[in-house]
Amino acid sequence: MMNMKIRQLSLSALRNALLSLYALFALFPIFWMILITFKSDAEMYTTTFQFHPTLYNYKEVLLRTDYFKAFLDNIIVSSGAVLVSILVGVPAAYALARYKFKGKEDLAFTILSFRFAPEILVILPLFMIYQALGIYDTYFGLIWVYQLITMPLLIWVVRGYFEDINVEIEQAAQLDGYPWYTVFLKILLPLIKPGLVAAGLLAFIFAWNSFTFPLLLSGFRIETVTVASLKYIASDTVHYGQMAVAATVAALPEVILALLIQRHLVRGLSFGAVKG
Amino acid sequence: MARIELTHISKRFRKVIALRDINFQVEDMEFFVLFGPAGAGKTTILKIIAGIEFPDEGLIKINDEVVNLVEPAQRNVSMVFENYALYPHFTVYDNIASPMRSPRHKTDEATIRKEVRRVAEMLKIEHLLDRMPAQISNGQKQRVAIGRCLVRNPSVFLMDEPLAHLDAKLRHFMRAEMKGLQADFNTTTIYVTHDYMEALSLGDRIAVINKGEIEQIGSANEVYYTPANQFVARLFGEPEINIFGVDLIEKENRLKLKIPGYEHLFDLEPDVERMLLKYNVRELNLGIRGTCISYAFAKEDDDFIPGTVYSLEPIGNMSILIVDINGEYIRIVAPNDLDVELDSDIFVKFDLKKALFFDRASETFIARHNRVHYVSEAA
Repeated sequence: MMNMKIRQLSLSALRNALLSLYALFALFPIFWMILITFKSDAEMYTTTFQFHPTLYNYKEVLLRTDYFKAFLDNIIVSSGAVLVSILVGVPAAYALARYKFKGKEDLAFTILSFRFAPEILVILPLFMIYQALGIYDTYFGLIWVYQLITMPLLIWVVRGYFEDINVEIEQAAQLDGYPWYTVFLKILLPLIKPGLVAAGLLAFIFAWNSFTFPLLLSGFRIETVTVASLKYIASDTVHYGQMAVAATVAALPEVILALLIQRHLVRGLSFGAVKG
Repeated sequence: MARIELTHISKRFRKVIALRDINFQVEDMEFFVLFGPAGAGKTTILKIIAGIEFPDEGLIKINDEVVNLVEPAQRNVSMVFENYALYPHFTVYDNIASPMRSPRHKTDEATIRKEVRRVAEMLKIEHLLDRMPAQISNGQKQRVAIGRCLVRNPSVFLMDEPLAHLDAKLRHFMRAEMKGLQADFNTTTIYVTHDYMEALSLGDRIAVINKGEIEQIGSANEVYYTPANQFVARLFGEPEINIFGVDLIEKENRLKLKIPGYEHLFDLEPDVERMLLKYNVRELNLGIRGTCISYAFAKEDDDFIPGTVYSLEPIGNMSILIVDINGEYIRIVAPNDLDVELDSDIFVKFDLKKALFFDRASETFIARHNRVHYVSEAA
């Protein structure tokens, strides 16, 4: 009896120790990033924790450059891209889950394959097409190209959720007297919500962090934070402090968003946990 | 209140034929049972009437109006799904209330509350109304599904094995309840089951379905006493009907029945003899139920055929005695207190007044004694 208890206690102590170690390992870079936002360029390379905290970097980035414009642009293109992906992707996922049609699996695979090629591989033809179409450096152009990042993820996750819902639930709702759009909104949407939220958040993060596309398909009128962060690499020196500020502020929306929808996220990531 | 008519309905799922030329008509307020083994196509017929599956060929009529292209929501049918199809994110109360909240059947909340209470009490689920479907047992889910179906007054109830997952006691209770309900509601009901007792006790008429085709449509008496073929005869009754080959012998201008391996010739009832003469086949199958066979331990007369006791299985309120007669195993219903030794000699007598005669080649029904008695005038 006593032995059992001791064993259990020591096991949970070991588990907690290992988890703490991992948390330290995972959080340290972020901690270090936040730390150097308060350091001046002169103290940047010291690894001791003794330095003279300064807000100079924040002032420089947030007030003296057009970082806010980039931040706003990033929000517009990323949330625009996710919104378009949801509007187009959810019906597409439904069709792929429910209907039998020729070449269905090929189509689903093709959509997935958009994620296979590295972005840099397709950027040259895309650049030329964008120039020719006149959508280079526009919100529309970026939102469009972001579909390569956000849409496949959303379609594949949400499709799995639709497949888990028994089709007879839809049929029952139809027989109860609901038109198809009410069946979709009242019955199906709540059931796929965890998947939709999880996939939507991941899609937003991928879009938000995207670098190659906004670097090469925009940059003058529209600029995202990932590209804007490059500016702190000057010809003479790299302003690591300012770069850290840019990165810290850039990470904020993702953190806030994740915290807001955490409740749905935990359920959403455990696929198939909610069966129809 | 509706008449349902299906004409030449055929349906295939890819290469598998699900239904082949289904024709039947359900009268207003009739309790119509679709009965058959698993995979026969019963559920598909129900879904075609509901409008959630589409036939490849054929017409569906509700009140003489072709509804092939009418949306399920507009057909005013109510259905119980075999695997319940409850809305997992709604409480039991909201599940049952759902039909009355749809734009098609909009009702005020006070009436909804009253109606939900009413069916919940009837189905004995009033203590579950606040639970989610995931928190109740399968039998309870099935009752919720029935409740959702009964809560409104549709033109036809479609029920897909609504009692299949209930425990035996509740099933008997619900069977009686169903029959009463139907009388109260004055509504046409189409009821799918694979339980022959449910079919016989509930159905005004029963359609026996096998491999996507209708084998027979008739009243409980008709399908039980005058089955269209051996398949139908085998489906009804426990123990399964005994069917074995017999021959017809002509002797002194009369037809006599000969059971293989036994010398004695049996007399036939005059009406049966007439039918057999008309049909003019000599190779028959005789079908005789376990309740229509008597047995004795001494040979009383020539009608008693000798055999040996093969086994005796008690099945609750009766036992099934299996007698080996020249390699043919005959199932006989016997009382529980019967005391026999295995392999001992026994004599059995078939009550030929209650026997069924089938054509051996086509396995179709030919005759039985006093057939008119069992067949309703309509047929």
